[in-house]
Amino acid sequence: MYQLSRRQVLLAAGAAASTLALAGCGDDDEGDADLSGKKAGAMDKYAAGDQFKATEALKFSIMLLSNAAYPYKADWLFWSELTKRTNVTLEPTVVPGSDYNQKRSVMVSAGDAPMIIPKTYHPDEEALIAGGAILPVSDYLDLMPNFKDKVAKWKLDSDLDTYRQQDGKFYLLPGVHETVYVDYSIAIRTDILTKLNLQIPKTWDDLHAVLKAMKAAYPDQYPMSDRWSTPPQPGANNLLALLSNAFGTGAGWDYQNAWWDKDAGKFVLTGAMDQYKQMLTFLNTLVSEKLLDPESFTQQDDQARQKFANGKSFVISCNTQTLVNELRKDIAKIPGATVVKIPRPIGPAGPNKPGTARLENGIMISKKALESKNFVAMMQFIDWLWYSDAGEEFAKWGIEGTTFTKDASGKRTLAPDVNVVGLNPSGTKHLQVDFGFFNGVFAYGGSTELRESFYSDEEKEFQKEMNTRQSLPVPPPRPFSADEREQATLWETGIKDYVNQQTLKFILNQRPLGDWDKYVAELKGKNSDQFIELANKAYDRYKKAHP
Amino acid sequence: MVTVEAPETLASTPAKPNKGQRPSRGYRVFQGVNALVLTGVVVLTLYPLINILARSFSAEDYIRSGQVNLLPRGFNLTTYRRVMSDPMFWTNYRNTIYYTVVATAISMVLTVCYAYVLSKKHLRGRSVLVGLAVFTMFFNGGLIPNYVLVSGLGLRNTIWAIVLPNAISVFNLLVMKSFFESMPVELEEAAAVDGLNTYQTLLRIVLPLSKAMLATMVLFYAVSFWNSWFSAFLYLDRSEMFPVTVYLRNLIAGATGGSDVGTASETALQIAANIQSVTIVLTVLPIMLVYPFIQRYFVSGVMLGAVKG
Repeated sequence: MYQLSRRQVLLAAGAAASTLALAGCGDDDEGDADLSGKKAGAMDKYAAGDQFKATEALKFSIMLLSNAAYPYKADWLFWSELTKRTNVTLEPTVVPGSDYNQKRSVMVSAGDAPMIIPKTYHPDEEALIAGGAILPVSDYLDLMPNFKDKVAKWKLDSDLDTYRQQDGKFYLLPGVHETVYVDYSIAIRTDILTKLNLQIPKTWDDLHAVLKAMKAAYPDQYPMSDRWSTPPQPGANNLLALLSNAFGTGAGWDYQNAWWDKDAGKFVLTGAMDQYKQMLTFLNTLVSEKLLDPESFTQQDDQARQKFANGKSFVISCNTQTLVNELRKDIAKIPGATVVKIPRPIGPAGPNKPGTARLENGIMISKKALESKNFVAMMQFIDWLWYSDAGEEFAKWGIEGTTFTKDASGKRTLAPDVNVVGLNPSGTKHLQVDFGFFNGVFAYGGSTELRESFYSDEEKEFQKEMNTRQSLPVPPPRPFSADEREQATLWETGIKDYVNQQTLKFILNQRPLGDWDKYVAELKGKNSDQFIELANKAYDRYKKAHP
Repeated sequence: MVTVEAPETLASTPAKPNKGQRPSRGYRVFQGVNALVLTGVVVLTLYPLINILARSFSAEDYIRSGQVNLLPRGFNLTTYRRVMSDPMFWTNYRNTIYYTVVATAISMVLTVCYAYVLSKKHLRGRSVLVGLAVFTMFFNGGLIPNYVLVSGLGLRNTIWAIVLPNAISVFNLLVMKSFFESMPVELEEAAAVDGLNTYQTLLRIVLPLSKAMLATMVLFYAVSFWNSWFSAFLYLDRSEMFPVTVYLRNLIAGATGGSDVGTASETALQIAANIQSVTIVLTVLPIMLVYPFIQRYFVSGVMLGAVKG
């Protein structure tokens, strides 16, 4: 029936913007000063590390993504224990995860959104800010001691700056990680490596050599056939993301039109960078030598999995979850087959990892919450549940003595009858499905220790290796004005589509790499220069206004 | 002799005994081609259905390695038991049946009334009424205004948000209107002479004569309400009110959508392919079973027209 296109959302948001902007006139001086009437239920002295408990029973509305794997249940232990600890009852608007973003757009634009809107990924909040229904949450951080504490302790200020809009405020409370969290990498069949007397590749050149050796031993098949080719990106999006970082640029999932060139101190067009060309050259070689299945860029995930499952390919993209739940199960019927996730291979840019991943999806707050007399209590509540050590542990592990136990060294163990992510296969109850803990809406971010408390030894090893690597520089904020954003969006779509399309052609040899200069000129025809100029202008302006 | 020769001149083929029963060569070729093409269509249509059915009875590793085509491999019923043991599935299933029945009833009443009125040529302002209906075929307020309207009327989180906003399908309305128009005026005149008023004419004369068309319309409406998920998704905020289509969509799109990309994959669980197939089978089965029962009305409807011609 209806399908909500991006344009419709923008139009609606724009329409809502004009009405709400009028209604919102004169609200600009809001700040901590006029919160006097909004402290009902709040704690007088609430500081980092304190247990939050409202002084009276409170109810807050929340938008709740119901994950298909652990659909919402009203009788989860999570809800009752949360009320017991904080005196707060959450009233969820349950939204199926399949179309969460769409319902969120409609509800926010219609002015009907619940007070707390979690599970929002930057920059999705930007389209909704213009409507004026979202609270500039950065104005109220003083109410959130745990958040401030973690930002200071983990030096997240520059990360947070990337979320700031032209007015210098940010509207999304992101989940915060102590360290960059890298999950996606490449899986490789180790039994084949052993058989051919090969080592686990450390660099992309190593991997190239390994693939060649595999090809020599199995000449009829492509040693690597990749997955994650969901449009609109060019395909093999994880492989492109890994490779582009290794070459010091961005592609696939990591593609952004504007790339921050730290040495030059300005933004450049990602798809026209020399590094981008080098990356394409490398991929082109893999395809030309028949080491990488050309279908990697177009096939469905299931097809890629089938090839791997049937021993038709030996190398494939993965993350922890797919490694354990899919790849290992898939190859179980091949005798002696083993597979591991290898640390990301290193490229010409040196051992690095993505730079922006210390922030996670987060929470938007409806501006109408500010009118509630419980506003301060709500902010304290959010601060406790999502940002305090106790709240994070509660959301993730549940209740000590019921769902998990803790030994003297602080190491947590699941209760004998509880299972999650396959950690305790004999457990009959599921931490997510039956108890409501470890829910993606509430449990994310936090300290490295908390995050790794759920990891297998193998994964800890992977993380240890990745933690030694240098993060790529985080691009500085370059917020557009509403007009500029509209113009930029128009240009950006054209540029991005063209880059993606030509990327595929260069890789698959449908266009010779000798055409590179011509391709860069064609990009200019798509207003790429104007766009980069606009980005740099916005960057300079922001730098001057917020030194 | 003359009577025998006359048909001969009509048929282009040489004269033969009992030629009336023998189809011409051209016709036989046509039949052959027809059968071939239609068989192809049948295979194309049936294959995905049978494949899903086979998957629903198969073990997951066979599905994942692409070995399940027309016959189940690793036959088991545990998946069916698992899906059927989820109380939310049955709650949502009951909702779907409830919404479909109520919505179809409301739609039929409203559409019949509107169409019958429009079919009367002597109705003043008829073209305006038709115009109003047709206007909504091409223009609508858009998603957010609709949402604000439904919300403002207090329909959110009630069944009325599902059954009222799309109660009249303009396409069905127009089909019904022309059907009523094609009915002989004499029938209604006779009814009037016998002393029936307008309502009695509609209920006792017109509707009983329109069974074939009504059955078709019920089918159209029922299928569209059974399959619809969007208004339920938009206007309902509680999972115990969702129809099973929303449940199913979350199971399939939620599990494979790109929205979880780059997030903590530790919380992104995979829904097994066989669970998806079982849910699909259970969801489409009842509405597919409706077709054979309504089909006889299609056939009798065709016959009805033939006799008149």
